[in-house]
Parts: sequence; structure tokens; C-alpha cells
Amino acid sequence: MKTILAFRESEYAWVHEKFPCVHPLLLPLCNKPFIEFLIDFAILAGSSAVRILCDGGLGEVERYCEDGSRWGIDLSYASIHPDDSIHAMLGKNRKFCGEERVMIVSGFSFIRYDKRYDYKSFASSMPPGEWSTCPGGRITLTGVPTKAVPDWLIADLSLMPLDSMTSYYQASMETLKTGESRYVLPGYGDEPECAFGRNVVISKSVEIRKPVSIGNNVQLLGNAIIGPSAIIGSNVIIDRESSVESSIVFDNTYIGEHLEIIGRIASGNRLNDPKSGASIAMEDPHLLSGIKKNRHLRSLPRKIVHACVALVMIAAFFIPFIILWPLLKLGGHWKSSPASFLSERTDETMPLAKVEVDASGAAAAIAVALSLDRYFRLFWVVTGQLALIGSTPLLAGESRPDAPAYVPAYLPGVFSYAEAEEWAATGGDATIVERFHLAHSNPLTDIGLVIKAFINRFQEKSTI
Amino acid sequence: MTITETSKIGIAILSLYGTLDALSAPELRNNRSIIDPEKTVVIDLQQVDFIDSSGIGAIVSASRQKRQPSGGIVLACMNDRVRKVFEITNAQKLFHIFDDTTAAVDFASSRQSASA
Repeated sequence: MKTILAFRESEYAWVHEKFPCVHPLLLPLCNKPFIEFLIDFAILAGSSAVRILCDGGLGEVERYCEDGSRWGIDLSYASIHPDDSIHAMLGKNRKFCGEERVMIVSGFSFIRYDKRYDYKSFASSMPPGEWSTCPGGRITLTGVPTKAVPDWLIADLSLMPLDSMTSYYQASMETLKTGESRYVLPGYGDEPECAFGRNVVISKSVEIRKPVSIGNNVQLLGNAIIGPSAIIGSNVIIDRESSVESSIVFDNTYIGEHLEIIGRIASGNRLNDPKSGASIAMEDPHLLSGIKKNRHLRSLPRKIVHACVALVMIAAFFIPFIILWPLLKLGGHWKSSPASFLSERTDETMPLAKVEVDASGAAAAIAVALSLDRYFRLFWVVTGQLALIGSTPLLAGESRPDAPAYVPAYLPGVFSYAEAEEWAATGGDATIVERFHLAHSNPLTDIGLVIKAFINRFQEKSTI
Repeated sequence: MTITETSKIGIAILSLYGTLDALSAPELRNNRSIIDPEKTVVIDLQQVDFIDSSGIGAIVSASRQKRQPSGGIVLACMNDRVRKVFEITNAQKLFHIFDDTTAAVDFASSRQSASA
């Protein structure tokens, strides 16, 4: 027995429009490409060779499925004319079909099959003609039956047209609910209705409500709620305190913090409503691709506001500084060394003192809490050479990939935006937060962030 | 490139061997059966090991010379290399493509008799 899977571009044109990043035949249903369901069914029906016919491009499908050796079948590809009937398709693939019985699955429709049934006996004993049909799709058998129809044979089968986002959503949810009992689905799991791919990182506080299907390389961050009925693709991040319920999240999608995705299809930066077909763009302000060096960073109002606040701070901390600094200096708790830091301008440096305060004593603890170790830097803000809040100043003299010449945004500050954030200001996270605020904050929000950073430094135990 | 021409039930079968590129395309374009607008031709591409845009252009222009643009040139036995080039250029939609020369000849013959 051989199988022909035939598709026309016009049948799946809606997929190109709604999900342009994925080839329609690789459209995932419960994290398994659509074409794989058809190949599985062809194998269940006893096919040793499958040919995929299409009047459009099959390059991506061919790269994914290759020669079919992973399923133990011969998989080949050919082109058809948009107007070809089933008879014409058989004629054009006469060499492939040979004298054998051929099953032709035509149309962009989902086959509801059940892997527990014996489709092989059914396909080889059915008389030629239509096996199953639906609007826009059909399964046809040709050739002489090789077996007599057994009395006991039952083979439940129906077709569901995938002609819109609504039907696609329905098919996906149905597949998730019927799950492993009917289909061969990807993923591992000890419990039914709960399949996980490889390299899935789940925070302890994540709540998972069955049924769910989760792809490979997925991160589920703190307090996220996944399910019920959630299909999460591969390379997906669900950020803190977000919930995904009765929804499909496509591969390579980031779901930001504090979001509720209920009854939606998220694909890249699009969020689609499967019922109405409406879609909106999700803008991720942390994406760095759109950030460019602009006048905003060096704008005069920002410098004036920063300088004014710096003057206020100089005046406010003058007395504590004049009392504590000599005490700490004499006691050996205040260590200062000259260092050269990268300036805002490319290839320029600025000399800033690197201060280390040993916070073991009460006076030193107060000095650190009041950020007196950065007191001298406030004068640089008044002269406009430093920002009051910005990036963490980078030491000069090292070959750095994050130097101003290579990064889209760098503005050294007395305080850093990372210090103002709640999470740990280390490594890549800190850099992302700093660049985000450099691109999006304004002089007024900067004042709030300075206060936040100042308060956060109270809790610091270590010395700088 | 070598072109071998045979005939079966009044249909010319051109079997191409080798490379169909800018250098060899004129040879196909100037073929007697190709030039004849009334003649339906089956082109067997099984032995074509390389085809470029000029080669595709020669086949498309041959099709345009025919009285029946969609049925005047029928392609057969396209190997994977050639099929991929046709897919990239979306030229597969312009032709009827068969995996067997006999089936292609039958189709061409039925087209020719229908138009006669």
C-alpha cells in the first residue's frame, strides 16, 4: 500500500496570513507538526511509501521530514497543478503508485484517527472509493482490495477541515484532550495529560493544571500558572506571574510578566483570538533591536534635572559626609584608589575614584546606607559628565564587548538602573534593565528610580 | 548538454542529459519540435544534473511558443535537483509534471487530440 498526501496552496492560504513564520504543513497541533499526523496515519494504514504533493513550495517540509527514514518509510515529494483532479494526480505519479493499492489524502484537513484501531486491515479490504470526506478534504482508496472485509472490523475515522484559525484551535485542543490515547504525541511525563519536552526549566512556584503539553527548551518562571489546556511550544519563556489557559503558545515566543493568556494563540509577537480571528501585536520593550543611540540620552532637560537633584543630594549629605568621611579615612575603613572609566562618548575615558568602604562599624554602615561612597561622583553630575542614574560605569583599559562603541545605549551614572530594580543586578539581566531604562525613561521617572536605587542600597551588606 | 529526440504516438520526447544552463539553453530553445507551435513535446529531465535560471527560462519560453501554453510542453521524470529549482522559482505551477514518461506521453496525446 502507498499513500499520496496532496495539498493546494489555496487550501492553506489562511495559515500564511496568520502564522507567517511556519510552513502550513508544519503547523503544530499539540506540539507535533500537522504533516506528522498524516504520516502516522499513513503508517497505521499500512503504507510503506508516502508521497507529498503540493502546488506550492515544499522546501521546509522536505528539510524537516527528509526521506522518511525516521518513520521507516520512503518519503518523496512532487509537484501538482492547482487544477489537478485525483485521477490526474494518480496519472502524474503512475511510477510511484505502480500496481499497488493507493490511499489519497487530499485537502488541508485533520484526520481524527485512533491508533488502537486496525486501519491496515480496513484500508486493504475496503472497496475502491471514498473512505471519508469533509468540506475541502477527502480520503480515497484506489486499486483492488487485497483482503476480504472481516466482520469484526471497526475503524473510527473522520476528517476535520482546517480552514480557519477557529478550526485549527479546536483541532489542537481536541488533540490535547484526547492525548496519547488516540495519537502519538511528543514529550515525556509520568502522568497522563501532561507531556514535557527536553530541557524544561520550571520554577518551584509554578502551578501546572492538566492537560498541558510543553515543548523543548521552555522556561516557566516564578508563580506562572500553566493550564488547564495549555500548549506551549519550544523555546518559549513564560515570565513571572503570567498565566496561560486554554491557549496555544507557538515556538520562539516570549510571554511577559503579569499577563493572562486565556483562549488565545500567541505566535511570535502576535496574540490571536481564534474565535473572532482578531490579532494584536505584543510589543516587548525589552527587545534591544529597536534601541538606537539617540539624542534622548544626551538631552539637555535630562542633564538639567539630574544636575539639580545632584545638587540637592550634595547639600543634604554634606554634613554626614563631612563628619563620617574623616572618621572612616582615619580609621582605615575608607579606601580610595584612582581608576579610569569609559565615558559616554566613544573612545573617551574619565578618571573616577574607586571607593571601598569596610562596613563593619556603625559609622561605615551609615556611610554605605547613605551612599556616601559615591558622594564625590555627584559633582561629576553637576558638570554634566556623569548621569545621576544610568549604566554601571565600565572600567577602561579592557577589551570589552559591552563598551560604548559596540552597545546601543551606555550612559555612566552615579547610580545604575539595575540597582533600582527588584531583581539581582548581575550579569545580563542588569545590562538589559539598564539599556531598557536608557531608551525608555524620562527625567521625571529618573527621579523615582534614583530614590528606588537609594532605598535598595540601604539593604546592601557588602562593600563597594 | 545532449538532447535525444524520440517520438511516440505522434508526441516528441526530448531526453536531456547533462547541464541545462546559459550555454546549453539555446540548443533546447532552437530545437525543431520546440519551435513548432502545433507540436506537443514531452521533456524528460531524469538525466539533467544541473539546471539554472537560463535553463528554466528556455523551458518556459518553449511553453510560450506553443499554441496550448499549459499543455504544449509536458515535463517528466524530474529529479530532486531539478524539482527544487522549479519550486524555488515557482515554475512548477506552469507545467504538468509526471514521474513517468509513458504517463506524460498519454497525457500529451490526449491533450493533442482534444485540441485537434
